[in-house]
Amino acid sequence: MTAVHGATKEQTETKTRGETQLAPPWHVIVHDDPVTLMTYVTKVFMQVFGYPQDKAQRLMLEVHKTGRSIVWTGAREQAEMYAQKLQAHHLLTSLEVADA
Amino acid sequence: MWYARVTEGTVFGGLQAPVLETLKGVPMLLESSDARVRERLLPETCDDPEDEAQWRRHAVPELERLFLSRAQLVRRDLAGVRKLANFDAHVLLVPTGHEAAWLGSLNAARLALFALNDLRAEHLEPEGFRKGTEKQQHAVLRIHLLAEIQSVLLGDVEIDDLDGSFEDFILE
Repeated sequence: MTAVHGATKEQTETKTRGETQLAPPWHVIVHDDPVTLMTYVTKVFMQVFGYPQDKAQRLMLEVHKTGRSIVWTGAREQAEMYAQKLQAHHLLTSLEVADA
Repeated sequence: MWYARVTEGTVFGGLQAPVLETLKGVPMLLESSDARVRERLLPETCDDPEDEAQWRRHAVPELERLFLSRAQLVRRDLAGVRKLANFDAHVLLVPTGHEAAWLGSLNAARLALFALNDLRAEHLEPEGFRKGTEKQQHAVLRIHLLAEIQSVLLGDVEIDDLDGSFEDFILE
């Protein structure tokens, strides 16, 4: 019993490690566009991510100055949810695997 | 154009015919099936074709529904535009609770105008206006007009707080 239990635990740990390797984090990226107001972008970042105003403003300026900014990184499902919310406000948003 | 806050929301007044026409175009732009507009409002999101196909299957239909419902709400508010008795101008009320739908729709309309008129970033700069054709210049003016309304709804512009309802205000 003990030996079988040990083997099962080992298999589970191996499987979990394997799954973790197969699920890298995803970046949510916002790209600059010349139309959308800067204050609107800041407000959307605050609303969607709950970021404080200074962080939202810093990210907005990064988008504006460099053309894009990684605004969030994490699990794919949540990244997709955030991307959808940002696109609902018409921010130019894309998704990228973090280690790509 | 002037703005004020009343009990029910935000009032935009002094709206002349060209401004009204621009506002009435907002829901239509949101509903546009033009490929350039759709490409911008529902952009390619993932590099991997399989991921992109999944995004198109799941996320895009929800976004389309959201845009349509916003367009309907904006259209309803626009149907309530009133003409002031002694002035040759109209008044629009954006009710409290409708601001998010308006902000999103105004942004979408500005992006659509930009795409439909082949505008470039330079056209929106102070000196860039003259670089456009007549049609492009009209589009730029509309983009700036809609931005002004967005700024008011975002709270970027200080506006008068009138102590009364929209109806009281209309009757005065």
